[in-house]
Amino acid sequence: MSNIIEVKNFTQKYGDFVAVDNISFDVEQGGVFAFLGPNGAGKSTTINTLCTIINKTSGELKINGYDVSDNKDKVRRDIGIVFQDSTLDGKLTIEENLKFHCEIYKVPKNEIKERLDFVLELVDLEDWRKAAVNSLSGGMKRRVEIAKGLIHYPKVLFLDEPTTGLDPQTRAKIWDYIYKLQKQKNITIFLTTHYMDEAEACDKVVIMDHGKIVACDTPYNLKNKYTSRMTKLMVEDEEVLGKYLKENSIKYELSEHMFTIYSNELNMIFDLVSKFKDTIKDFQTNNGTLNDVFLSITGKEIRS
Amino acid sequence: MRAIVAILKRNLTNFTRDKLRLIFSIFMSVFLLFIFSFVMKGAAKGIENPLNYLISGIIIMTVFQTALSNSSNILEDISMGVMKEVLVSPIARWQISIGQVLSSTIIAVAQSLIMIVIGLFMGLSINVIQFLQMLGVMVAVGATFSSLGLYVATLAKSSTTFQIMINVVILPFTFLSGAYIPTTTMPKILLPFVYINPLTYTTAIFRYITLKMGNMSSGALVKAGVAFNVDGFIIMPYMGLIIILTMGLLFFILCVRRFNTADFSNVKVFNPNDK
Repeated sequence: MSNIIEVKNFTQKYGDFVAVDNISFDVEQGGVFAFLGPNGAGKSTTINTLCTIINKTSGELKINGYDVSDNKDKVRRDIGIVFQDSTLDGKLTIEENLKFHCEIYKVPKNEIKERLDFVLELVDLEDWRKAAVNSLSGGMKRRVEIAKGLIHYPKVLFLDEPTTGLDPQTRAKIWDYIYKLQKQKNITIFLTTHYMDEAEACDKVVIMDHGKIVACDTPYNLKNKYTSRMTKLMVEDEEVLGKYLKENSIKYELSEHMFTIYSNELNMIFDLVSKFKDTIKDFQTNNGTLNDVFLSITGKEIRS
Repeated sequence: MRAIVAILKRNLTNFTRDKLRLIFSIFMSVFLLFIFSFVMKGAAKGIENPLNYLISGIIIMTVFQTALSNSSNILEDISMGVMKEVLVSPIARWQISIGQVLSSTIIAVAQSLIMIVIGLFMGLSINVIQFLQMLGVMVAVGATFSSLGLYVATLAKSSTTFQIMINVVILPFTFLSGAYIPTTTMPKILLPFVYINPLTYTTAIFRYITLKMGNMSSGALVKAGVAFNVDGFIIMPYMGLIIILTMGLLFFILCVRRFNTADFSNVKVFNPNDK
């Protein structure tokens, strides 16, 4: 697969403050790419530069082969953006907002109706097309934003914290739309988020902190690399298990009759389970979460 | 072209959606028309047909004020985020400026047309050719001051700042233009301010048309307050039109430049935590 976004040695400064410090990364076409990091890590600066909102200080940024500084209009045509804050005109109806968007993105006139139907169906808002945006709920407004970001069929869709401030139900729904869309149109999705569980479902994750990329991989690899598997065991005879673990010098914690073992050695876990399978009352094993990855890389909780 | 039409359509729809604002802006014009034409009649001594004289001044002032304050819409657009959406779209910056200026001009001219109609009932008499000429001047004035307003709006950081800036422009300019108080009755000490005020010429050319002064001598025009004798050099009404158009062009170019260069930092103002 070819790279739809290429960033090389990108630096962004505001006066003396270095917001983004010499970062490089590529995004393959057709995937879901997540940008993680606390507030002030440089995520929005990077997105804004890719979206041609801010001019870069130095480096090379390309979308679909076009340089974001030299070929602004070509880049603008290829991208759709859902900002953190609303960009809808509250006095106009959903349909009017979307039509306005079609006009300024030069969507062919004879396709407008068809595309309106398509995106409104995608975000389940067909029945609301004549409603003024001001009268909608927060979740619905966000759905309109997503519909708007899509209606000109962009190659890359940027989502800057698409689900911040929404309830879990709406969040889940919005992710449904995003994945449905990604499959249907093979659009590349580039998103930033605070929610680690949302990032888990992405194809590739970049973690940024203090303007630098601190990790870049698939969620699975990141978890394997930076966290250890946590296995919990509850057995009938705790003394026997405790003795066995000590003899084999396996580190464990015991609390409330529950043994907790941190280790990535799966064979050892299998041996343990097969050996004690008759006495095991409860068993669970989990990979670490992206939150753990973040903690182990940056050594602190996400500041939100 | 499509983008300009889209912005125009959107701004006009937006304007009509705000019913209260619509009603009040019309009410305000009517109010001004009545108050000023009756109250100021006394001040217009020595002028033939003082009512027409004042009505024409008030109409052109409406164009000026509406055009100027319409530009505050762009601040609303910026804070609402609509401007951000427009700025990341693939349309040329000058098209955004044209769309904005055009819509605010149309609103200003439409509002003054209502006043012309009311003026007709109050005793204003004009023929079709005069009307078309007036319309031309109204469009020119509207476009010029919409550009000025748009430029000021892009400089202002909030709508409150904008309102203050606009009021500072509006008050002295209108009162020193001869629209409400004829320049011929003003004290000599104010005259230099009258001469450097672009609105003076705006009012002059509009009156020149409305009051059918085409066949008057330059001396009579000066006496009527539509031409100005500055140290022996007579500024004729048509020169005023050139002054206005030049000014409009200047501010329009400034606007486009603002949108080209400083536009994004402008958007950032409303998102201070977004680093």
